[in-house]
Amino acid sequence: MNRRQLIPLAVAAPLAVLPLFLNAYWIDVLNSIGIYAMLGLSLNLIVGHAGLFNLGHAAFYAVGAYTAAIVNTTFGIPVLLLLPVCGLAAGLFALAVARPIIHLRGDYLCIVTIGVGEIVRIALVNNLFGITGGSNGIFGIARPSIFDLTLRTPLHFYYLIWIFVALTVFVFHLLEYSRFGRALNYLREDDVAAEGSGVNTAHYKLMAFVVGAGWAGMVGNIYAAKMTIISPESFTFWESVLMFAIVILGGSGSMPGVLLGAFLIVGLPELFREFANARMLVFGAAMIAMMVFRTQGLIPSRPRIYRIPAVEKGEGRA
Amino acid sequence: MKRVILLCLALLLVQGTAFAADSIKIGLMGPITGPWASEGAEMKQVVQLLAEELNQKGGLLGKKVEVVTQDDGGDPRTAALAAQRLATQGVVAVIGTYGSAVTEATQNIYGEAKIIQIANGSTAIRLSEKGLKYFFRTCPRDDEQAKVAAQAIQKMGSKRIAILHDNSTYAKGLADETRGLLEAAKAGEIVFFDALTPKEQDYTTVLTKMKSVQPDIVFFTGYYGEAGLLLKQAKQMNWKVTFMGGDATNNPDIVKTAGKDAAAGFYFVSAPLPKDLPSDEARNFLDTFKKKYGNPPNSIYAALAGDGFRVITQAIAETKSTDPAKLADYLHKDLKDFPGLTGKISFNEKGDRVGEVYRVYRVNDEGQFILQP
Repeated sequence: MNRRQLIPLAVAAPLAVLPLFLNAYWIDVLNSIGIYAMLGLSLNLIVGHAGLFNLGHAAFYAVGAYTAAIVNTTFGIPVLLLLPVCGLAAGLFALAVARPIIHLRGDYLCIVTIGVGEIVRIALVNNLFGITGGSNGIFGIARPSIFDLTLRTPLHFYYLIWIFVALTVFVFHLLEYSRFGRALNYLREDDVAAEGSGVNTAHYKLMAFVVGAGWAGMVGNIYAAKMTIISPESFTFWESVLMFAIVILGGSGSMPGVLLGAFLIVGLPELFREFANARMLVFGAAMIAMMVFRTQGLIPSRPRIYRIPAVEKGEGRA
Repeated sequence: MKRVILLCLALLLVQGTAFAADSIKIGLMGPITGPWASEGAEMKQVVQLLAEELNQKGGLLGKKVEVVTQDDGGDPRTAALAAQRLATQGVVAVIGTYGSAVTEATQNIYGEAKIIQIANGSTAIRLSEKGLKYFFRTCPRDDEQAKVAAQAIQKMGSKRIAILHDNSTYAKGLADETRGLLEAAKAGEIVFFDALTPKEQDYTTVLTKMKSVQPDIVFFTGYYGEAGLLLKQAKQMNWKVTFMGGDATNNPDIVKTAGKDAAAGFYFVSAPLPKDLPSDEARNFLDTFKKKYGNPPNSIYAALAGDGFRVITQAIAETKSTDPAKLADYLHKDLKDFPGLTGKISFNEKGDRVGEVYRVYRVNDEGQFILQP
């Protein structure tokens, strides 16, 4: 085990005992940070690794949350059991929307995703098929339970959320270092070259979209379980912008960066509560300052190093 | 390095806020930022002004009253955080907030922390149907509006009634509720009940359809944009029928859309505008508000937040206690016809305000909204 592998442990250990020293409010702030960390990580796959600008991530988050809420309130299925269903719903939705637009580049794709986000939000407000509850949202989502324990207090959710964050980090770490992750990085840097080397770019881009969206859908489920009420106000364009800012500010493509980004973007406005009216102003100024001093993000992604086994004498010559 | 300095500065500021040694803390949760920021700003002005007045008179139980404001951003997630924050700041009661979904996200947090919550702009019926002991609201519920609308229709002596909504949850709910009440009262006949499609430009089809069944009155429960067009196009068709609207038509823009000619004679049901608040308390308060901030409050929901503050301070003064159970008991049972800014206030066992807040307005020839007796 080398030093770099110890870093996750060094972060996880304090997080595990932290709630013992905090009151319910700060625990709930950490819960919020955890939720946005997961959303940031899922968006990071799309924006950071595949280089696809997605400013409509809140739409997939909303699909997951509403799937959980609707199925739970109509059929009474425990909300945590619906995790895979929500992921699947958001993933399939992403597949359907992204399939025709995935070939768009950069800012064009960005504009379309903004449109998708708004369409979803407005559909929710207009009570689509009479099941989304219109602008009042859906209420009375049953509290989740694990075995006999009903999750109720911020402390319960703290462990649920942060265990899920750890799982997210683990899964996305594996993805990053897989063939899939390398292919995404390749097409981000140069998709013509990638195509030329036999990487099916359309397929990989689409898969990045679907996996990222599906994960956001699962986060939506946890959000719905935590709030027990959801409404369209929680899935506005601003939410998409926040997630995007977390990725860009923290360091596009870098997992520690995204986690730090979530801490700052969600944590700072809470820290600035004392400024009352000006809190968003102070927050904005802080963000601008950070972007001016660190354009590449706070913790930019590092180039990967692969050790080549020592070359035997006589080998490696053309 | 700069970042570190910034962070230290922020921490210092957080630590540095002075804690008043001995005071009664009342929380105010409102949309200080976000889409409804104007509501939140006014709520804060009203409550702070009332607190200042109270403190000048010597405060409560010999202590100063301190208003702790937290921003809910008009969003359920931020509201839940604001509620947790207030719950850890030792407040006795919380006033707020605006928006039913936002309020709902905080109800359980206050309930579990045994903090009295007095909502000011959350009209969804379900909020008070959960049996929460510490939840109150100074605003009326959606079904209250239907009651007033149905009474107004009966009072006008209308026999053939057309009801038109726009399929939104709120408008359809109001339409359904009003129809039910009219049918139960056997007052006239509902000759038309249907929806229009919002955001269209031409409503002559639906108007023609309504005209063919010859109603005496058309009750439209949707929003002011469509209402303005309906009035204008009915006038162009030369159809003279009385139109009435719900409180979503309470907006000066309706006169702009329809034109003064067509808008004249339009009735709508709404909570009173701040300028028409009934009591002496309200008039005095409006004067001081105007003196301090330069303009009268625009929103009735800010005045309702002020009423929330007044009833809870009244309860603390009367019970000489800050025990939430005693205060809730007092508000449920003993507070009767308290002279509030928005009229007399009493609460029923669900925490809903008793008595009619809604009034009927009529648009006059100059396009002004005139309160009907």
